[in-house]
Amino acid sequence: MIHVASLLHDDVLDDADTRRGIGSLNFMMGNKLAVLAGDFLLSRACVALASLKNTEVVSLLATVVEHLVTGETMQMTTTSEQRCSMEYYMQKTYYKTASLISNSCKAIALLAGQTAEVSMMAFEYGKNLGLAYQLIDDVLDFTGTSTSLGKGSLSDIRHGIITAPILYALEEFPELRVVVDQGFDNPANVNRALEYLRKSHGIQRTRDLARKHANLASVAIDSLPQNDEEDVQRSRRALAELTQRVITRTK
Amino acid sequence: MLFTRGLSRISRTGYSRRQWAFSSLRNNEHQLMQHYNHSLPPLHSSEKVWGFRVIHSLVSNALSGVGQQVHDQSSSVIEERLDPFSLVADELSILANNLRSMVVAKVPKLATAAEYFFKMGVEGKRFRPAVLLLMATALDVPMCIHPPDATVDTLPTELRSRQQCMAEITEMIHVASLCHDDVLDDADTRRGIGSLNFVMGNKIAVLAGDFLLSRACLALASLKNTEVVTLMATALKHLVNGETMQMTTATDQRYSMEYYMQKTYYKTASLISNSCKAIAILAGQTAEVSILAYEYGKNLGLAYQLIDDVLDFTGTSTLLGKGSLSDIHHGIITAPILFAMEEFPELRAIVDRGFDNPANVDIALEYLGKSRGIQRTRELATKHANLASAAIYSLPKNDNNDVQESRRALVELTQRVITRTK
Repeated sequence: MIHVASLLHDDVLDDADTRRGIGSLNFMMGNKLAVLAGDFLLSRACVALASLKNTEVVSLLATVVEHLVTGETMQMTTTSEQRCSMEYYMQKTYYKTASLISNSCKAIALLAGQTAEVSMMAFEYGKNLGLAYQLIDDVLDFTGTSTSLGKGSLSDIRHGIITAPILYALEEFPELRVVVDQGFDNPANVNRALEYLRKSHGIQRTRDLARKHANLASVAIDSLPQNDEEDVQRSRRALAELTQRVITRTK
Repeated sequence: MLFTRGLSRISRTGYSRRQWAFSSLRNNEHQLMQHYNHSLPPLHSSEKVWGFRVIHSLVSNALSGVGQQVHDQSSSVIEERLDPFSLVADELSILANNLRSMVVAKVPKLATAAEYFFKMGVEGKRFRPAVLLLMATALDVPMCIHPPDATVDTLPTELRSRQQCMAEITEMIHVASLCHDDVLDDADTRRGIGSLNFVMGNKIAVLAGDFLLSRACLALASLKNTEVVTLMATALKHLVNGETMQMTTATDQRYSMEYYMQKTYYKTASLISNSCKAIAILAGQTAEVSILAYEYGKNLGLAYQLIDDVLDFTGTSTLLGKGSLSDIHHGIITAPILFAMEEFPELRAIVDRGFDNPANVDIALEYLGKSRGIQRTRELATKHANLASAAIYSLPKNDNNDVQESRRALVELTQRVITRTK
């Protein structure tokens, strides 16, 4: 519910027309109803959260909403310096994508009465999975279903959102910065940026970083306390499998 | 902390005279309440000013009915009418500072947006926090531990801190809902300044509302009381329900007084009533007392909104059509019109046509003028105000002076809510 509420609000914020292959809610029914619908879902999520009668979990999820908002605002209001910073980008990505899943995983552990240590591992799984997911998302936006560049939707760059592949390319080709600063309303600039990206190791390095996070996620699962029960083991293997799927997917 | 010194200052100067006058009043409380309805002077704008100020206004008219004893035994007429807000003024300014620090954000633009309505001068009337702090005292939670050495500053008890936190939470939820409502209504102004969406755009306004909500939830979680969390989650749900009801009414529902009162409860009264109940629960009060606190908040909120409806038509004059007429221009049908429709069914056709055409507004105002709509709305507001007072009187007996003073202040508020002219 929190995730969908944030999608509804994000689409209002981004003036998005489509979402999940259909018209976005704001496009179909107007901004007002979309804002209200988001609030409605948030309020229902709060009621459900309250019914769990665990205030630590309430804290975790409240933090998530704050992170979602912070991440969105970070994206809206970057200075030129921040836009070109990998650190800023990873922080924003954590807030926008990884915080919800990581804190939810931690909440699952807390509800199960697990130790702080185990809760931390659940958190780490979620966090690294989320980061890996987003990094591959960034790559796919350039490559699409093909491994060659420019076949993706290029939606990020066209919206002026600078993601990991470009940030890596910037490290290798500082002159790319001039292009980035000019902005991408001009399609010629998009092509220029893609050229630099092609020449650089940007795509490859992003994939490497994604793999690193996917592995960290697997490690977290492997570090869970020994348990011989079959269902438990199978679920853990499934979680490890997910970390692989996240980085090998093509869409 | 300054507030304890401030409070004892109020107490010492006016206390003995007030206590004395009020002890005679207590015997005639109900007659006095009737008297108050007719002869209270209009609300002073000082209510809006923060800081430590007791309103000195002559109430000889109201009190002379009590009896000659007052004049005989006191050299001057009782001059201090109880000002509810001054009782908690110091605490409220601490609250204001807390709120400002609680909405600090890492991202500058978000910080600006979040604190927009907590800046000095635009904090609004702070009605809800005042009610909640008064309720806390009324339920016998001391504002501080009285130390043997009176010159030493005392910290609020832990319970009091939690209740202050509750007041902060309520205010944050309230402001969050204002931010989103202004987006929904395309409002240009709020609290006398540009609305947040007008000044910084819809996007930031939506985000700011979400942010404030998340901060409120964090504070709520820190209280570690799941019953209170549930209450406030319910209040949040009701706020959205109320807004949705207002946006999406089918024709029949628009004309139903029942639907209107339900929507009003959701939009206006639920937050304050559930917060009052939360105050009682934090104080470890019985279920019975918690319900009384709830009933006070609920009836106060309803009375407030009903008078709000009236003032939208009458403004600061008692004549019709001098108010801002903003409700009717937005097509929102409120209690006075609903009552008028009961007397003049033909008004319904006018309402159906909508109010984009100003001529329709005039016609509706004519019907309203002919009807008893305004009067009946005021009567309904009075009924709710009295129910709120009754809830206070039903609280368990308590001889503590601060408790009694706060209870009187809460009752005073019920009167102010229905006699105010803006």
